[in-house]
Amino acid sequence: MEVLVLTLMAIVALLSTVATYLAITERDLLTAVIYSALQSTAYAIIFYLLMAPDIVLVYIPVAVGLYPAVFIVLIKKSERYEGG
Amino acid sequence: MSSDFHLVAYLTGIVIISLFVNMGVSLYGMFARPSLIKKLIALTILSDTANVFAILVGYRRWPPGSIVKPPVLTELPPTPERVARFVSTAVDPLPQALVLTAIVIGLAVIIFLAVIIMQIYRTYGTTDVRLISKMRGERR
Repeated sequence: MEVLVLTLMAIVALLSTVATYLAITERDLLTAVIYSALQSTAYAIIFYLLMAPDIVLVYIPVAVGLYPAVFIVLIKKSERYEGG
Repeated sequence: MSSDFHLVAYLTGIVIISLFVNMGVSLYGMFARPSLIKKLIALTILSDTANVFAILVGYRRWPPGSIVKPPVLTELPPTPERVARFVSTAVDPLPQALVLTAIVIGLAVIIFLAVIIMQIYRTYGTTDVRLISKMRGERR
């Protein structure tokens, strides 16, 4: 059972690494925000598997809800594409 | 038992190394990418990774032979023996309390920096730091 939980945690950690790489190297900032939300979802699953459900209850509205909302408002008020 | 221990160490190593890779990639994003908004996204990823490390410090391996248990006291009323048995198997709650505070403070900091970037865009007309450093204070 412990090995199963740790296997799931390792898979989710590798998924978060892929999402982070895509979010950093993406030129379109709106797509980068979506990849960042995917990485935050992976971190929420890691928090849950590390037996911290109170962190999950705070982390999901903040990192999957409010951060992308703030970034989308910021991109709408400024520019969408990263030059160079 | 020994092969089980090696498997647990291997999987934990995968988790820790991928978190370090996340930290390195987000530091690259903060230092090398030109857009201020991309720097802000990299900052959120870096702070979240630091929070995951803080939670990982307080984690404890499961007691051998146990099935899944909720991290709360399940037997009532809480006598000293039951509390002692719970404390011997529960994870450390102190990093969780600190991370709970750090997430909320990080939200306030990110919104503050977002407003500053919005003002920079209104003043200079761009969020590219190379162009902003060439302008040297003149309005566009």
